[in-house]
Amino acid sequence: MTFWDQAIEISRVDLRVERRMGDVLRIILPFAVIALLVFPLALGVDLSAITELGPAVFWAIGVLFGMQVALRQAADDRPERRDLYALLGVDPAARFVGRTMSGSVLTVGFMIALLVATFVLYSPRLPSGWPGPVILAVLLTAVGLTELGTLAGEVTAGLRSRTLLASLIVAPLAIPLVIGGSQTLESLTRDTSILPWLLLLVATDLALAVAGVALARPLEEASR
Amino acid sequence: MKRVRILMAIAAAAMVAGLYLTLTSPTDRLQGEFTRIVNIHAPSMWVAFLAFGVTALASILWLVRKTDRWDRIAEASVETGVLFTATGLFTGMVWGQAVWGRAWDWADPRMASTAVMFFVYIGYLALRRATPDPVMRARRSAILGAIAVVQVPLVYFSVNLFRSLHQTQSIRPDGATMPDEMVIALLVNFLAFTLLYVALTAGRVEVAKAEESRSGETVPAGDAVATPLLSEVEDV
Repeated sequence: MTFWDQAIEISRVDLRVERRMGDVLRIILPFAVIALLVFPLALGVDLSAITELGPAVFWAIGVLFGMQVALRQAADDRPERRDLYALLGVDPAARFVGRTMSGSVLTVGFMIALLVATFVLYSPRLPSGWPGPVILAVLLTAVGLTELGTLAGEVTAGLRSRTLLASLIVAPLAIPLVIGGSQTLESLTRDTSILPWLLLLVATDLALAVAGVALARPLEEASR
Repeated sequence: MKRVRILMAIAAAAMVAGLYLTLTSPTDRLQGEFTRIVNIHAPSMWVAFLAFGVTALASILWLVRKTDRWDRIAEASVETGVLFTATGLFTGMVWGQAVWGRAWDWADPRMASTAVMFFVYIGYLALRRATPDPVMRARRSAILGAIAVVQVPLVYFSVNLFRSLHQTQSIRPDGATMPDEMVIALLVNFLAFTLLYVALTAGRVEVAKAEESRSGETVPAGDAVATPLLSEVEDV
């Protein structure tokens, strides 16, 4: 099997496990929608403020819960499965890439569902021509978040406080993604160039991809 | 330990010299006495950047050579770096309250990015605490230490990249933006804080060695007391 065959197969296995367990659809997405509901309730019935806050709340909740998609239970390999991959000679870098691919698919789906919920609950005023750039920003943010989540998940694999600890590691490192994503929309509203923010997202994604592939072997050793 | 004591003594002498120059250098016409805070704030942040850079280097060297020494240096350097980041943040907030009228200003991306960097390394220390096995702990924290350093250039260049209230670099290749006496006081403090970093890190490395020699005598929190199983409880 080539590197990409391995990555695609791991990604398919991940998505199949997720279809059976439904962590994202049944737990993380409803929880994120509840969080969307909490903000206006805490703010009081101030429709103009709610409309104004909509995009910011979307990015904040999207990133905080998006990392939970990457750290979901189904993405935590048991030691037996890790041993099996090692015995089968699966390239650790292919594991990282495969896991990132499946996680990105789920995170993009999650963030698009959250975007729809934000529209329904917050009715944000968006500038014309927003769908293309915003969806591109969502896509790039999702990939970066998944890469970060995969790295943090591997670093904390098997620890008792894995989910909490990985969240603590991912949240501050995800700040460039939050800035890139939210400023893309802000720049569209102010009619300034969105290119620097999209470049920030691309640069973060690439840096994380390089780190993930370069550190794949030590990461595999660290998680077994 | 003798080496650490000598380093501490040299650092203490340099700190005294730095403090003297801080208290005797001229002040800014608008900021008054609060100008002097820069002699603690800027060197603290410099040492924090240095400490996290050393951590990244030691982490990479651990991944390559797998020797305990590099893990101890990485750990010691992060702890010192977190201490100096907290000092830098605190002194920045005191100065901000006095000069800007508020301790925390969102118009200053360097404050926000420094706080983010602080929490990244708090996460690093939490990861170390949560991993009981020493080899596993060294490996995991080396990976995180090598990745986390990306925050350092982001913090340093944030004042150039974003619109910011924070002033840009005062000492530049084309000259300084303040009088010579203030520059000398600042440079002496940079040296004193660097020596203090070296002394504290060397001391922490010694403590880590002592901790390792006692490893096995302690158990991770939560593992010290095990709840008895019902099947193991005899009737009383």
